[in-house]
Amino acid sequence: MLSTRLLTKRYGSLTAVEELDLEVSAGELFGFLGPNGAGKTTTIKMLVGLLRPTSGSASVAGIDIQAEPEKAKARIGYVPDSATLYDKLSAREFLEFSGDLYHVERRLRDRRIDALLKLFDLHERANDFLAGYSRGMRQKVSLAAALLHDPQVLFLDEPTVGLDPQSARQMKDILVDFCKEGKTVFFSTHILEIAERMCTRLAIINHGRLIAIGSLQELRHMVGQDGQSLEQIFLELTGSREEDVSAVLRGLES
Amino acid sequence: MASRANPIARVAGGLEVGWLLWRAQLQMFMNQTIRSRQAGRIVATIIGAAVILLAWSWEAIITWIGVQAAHRVTARIDAVHLLSLAFLGYTAVLVFSSLVFSLNALLLNPDLDLLLAAPQPVESVLAGRMVVQVLRLLLLSLLFTGPALLVLAIANHDPLILVILAALYLLYPVFVVVIISVLSLLLVRFIPAGRGREILTVFGVALALGVNLLNFLLNPALRDSGFSRRPGAPLSLPDVPAASSPWLPSGWAGRSAAAILHGDLPAAVGWASLLLGVSAVIFAVGTRLSGRLYLAGWIQAVPPRRRHLTPARTRRLKGAVPLLSPVLASILVKDWRMRTRDLAQLVRFVMPVVFLFVIFGLRFPRLLDSVRSLGEGPAEAMLALIPAWVLLFSLSISLGLTAVSLEGKSIWVYAASPNTTWRFLQGKCWSAAVPTAALVALVALIAEILIRPGWLWAATAVLLAVSLAAIVTTLMVGIGAVFARFDWTDARRMMNPLGVFIGMALFAMITGISALLLGISLALAGATGFPVFTTWLAAMTISVGGALALAALGLLIGNQRLRGLELG
Repeated sequence: MLSTRLLTKRYGSLTAVEELDLEVSAGELFGFLGPNGAGKTTTIKMLVGLLRPTSGSASVAGIDIQAEPEKAKARIGYVPDSATLYDKLSAREFLEFSGDLYHVERRLRDRRIDALLKLFDLHERANDFLAGYSRGMRQKVSLAAALLHDPQVLFLDEPTVGLDPQSARQMKDILVDFCKEGKTVFFSTHILEIAERMCTRLAIINHGRLIAIGSLQELRHMVGQDGQSLEQIFLELTGSREEDVSAVLRGLES
Repeated sequence: MASRANPIARVAGGLEVGWLLWRAQLQMFMNQTIRSRQAGRIVATIIGAAVILLAWSWEAIITWIGVQAAHRVTARIDAVHLLSLAFLGYTAVLVFSSLVFSLNALLLNPDLDLLLAAPQPVESVLAGRMVVQVLRLLLLSLLFTGPALLVLAIANHDPLILVILAALYLLYPVFVVVIISVLSLLLVRFIPAGRGREILTVFGVALALGVNLLNFLLNPALRDSGFSRRPGAPLSLPDVPAASSPWLPSGWAGRSAAAILHGDLPAAVGWASLLLGVSAVIFAVGTRLSGRLYLAGWIQAVPPRRRHLTPARTRRLKGAVPLLSPVLASILVKDWRMRTRDLAQLVRFVMPVVFLFVIFGLRFPRLLDSVRSLGEGPAEAMLALIPAWVLLFSLSISLGLTAVSLEGKSIWVYAASPNTTWRFLQGKCWSAAVPTAALVALVALIAEILIRPGWLWAATAVLLAVSLAAIVTTLMVGIGAVFARFDWTDARRMMNPLGVFIGMALFAMITGISALLLGISLALAGATGFPVFTTWLAAMTISVGGALALAALGLLIGNQRLRGLELG
């Protein structure tokens, strides 16, 4: 459903993503993890066609995102990390606009909008301007817009940021149901607990390089210690060490 | 804890925070210009510096000539009154700029929380913001008048002229900045700060309109062309006698400036000291007051009133436009909603119409009589297009150039969708050209009906106006795409100055060439005996065709720029 081959992005001398090879199958809920600045957002932006790779290729639903961007984008749903929406549109108007951009037939669009607004508990405020929405509500509107055209692959960049516990739970349920329909979710997160519980497979990226990929069990084998939490595996693989932190903190005290 | 700090410590803290902020702003400026390591920015900085140096040289030469002339000609000028008037005029500028600044710096800028979280009294943080504004105004004043002051100091062999006037530049804005800051903090207890910006925009337009109206009614130069000429009215510009009052800061600053220019240092220092004393007291009191007002909270602390659509409006606007594809229609409808629901955007629509009324409407009876006296014909039909042309100039710039940047940070919504940039540009052309062409057509039609140049000439003139309105706006959309910035969310800053310059130049070029072609067509008909209508139509076709080619080129370049755009 999703594959990248030697996908690389360079900004001058800085390599944001280096020779990334990924294969994600249909029905997978794929977690993409990494420390800040590791290259997660850059990778997602290349996969949804917002950034052009410096080299390498990526295909979504069997379509090369560079060669046929419009065709590929029609099969993609995307929720950015901090979704800037049109403040002076209501949620319903924004979803209508989004539906039109994705060529969803009008009657079907309106039916889906009603259903999604109900699903995300936004129906009572559907005609309020987005300017008055909280961050979590905007995140829900973004997700609703991403689901509106019934995509085959959903890309989410830090989707749970700003969501209250109920909404985060609701989002998890939606994503799991989405994958049960044979569709794919590719999401980045810092909340390892969520990734640990939800994802069928995970990839960890650091300094733009893929350092691990597999199921949680496979990652445990990789670090050689069964029973470790994802957090421990993550810290082990990305080289963040507790003793370093303690030493720095002790240094601050003196 | 903050309120218990002693007043001197608060003021000193304010100066310290102000200096820190000022230093940070200078660092940011340097990082964005000469330290940016980007060739384009460095070149732009060097060009900007060269332009400033050129303007300074010019200013210095003019001042030098003025000084030499003043030595030879004895003119009776009340220097105190003139300089006081200048300071009073400057006060008006200060009031408006401080209003905008206060709203942004004290309430809207996101770094305020960071500053308030620091172990500094609230008063010091707010005072620091005011210090930054005063320093910024000092810099601007020196930027505009520095060379003149230098020449005056050299010509009078008195370097203290530079020192005293720079001190006045520093001290004079203090009372305005402080009072406006305190008033802003008081105001936002009743009006949300975010809304305040929109209200300021409307206030600005009303102010500009008021000044224009007053100018029309009072300026003797315009009285003979208007309907308000009063027989025997004195032919002098309106004066404000109170400007040089010894009880007003403008009077103190004017007296101090006049004294140093006449070499009277004690008087200059005396009046400047008075200004310094009063400014210091106002700064200290203002700092205390602003802290109290800030801590009392403002209306944003309570849940804002929810703005929503009425059921009727929801039903009426469904996002469908006949003959347009859903994508193009949705862009057109979305942009229309954004522009009409945002007061700052709406003003862009309304302002040109209002100014058109001021420029033409108030003088209309006289203008109408003048044009009608020419009789029927193509020239009269073209003269009738002048108001529509002024409107087109304004709307094509304000709507066309901003059409692409209007997306701001929300551009990702479109960029992630399965549509080409070309289609996006098409949508933007529709969204800018439809209202522009409609309004231009309306104004052209009204003018042609009133002037009555003959129905055939009127019809062709309206057709020309509508065609060129759509084409010119399309051209502006293309230019707007070339210079689009999506990291700007502030509607007022969406126009790139270079883009505006190029847009205006091309508009002038199209206007000039069209007028020339139409003139040639009339001359050709006269010389060759061809029917005027034939040569006229040929000229119109060439004019529209040329503009169309230019617009297509603009769109192609704009599209190339958008295709190369990466949303990192």
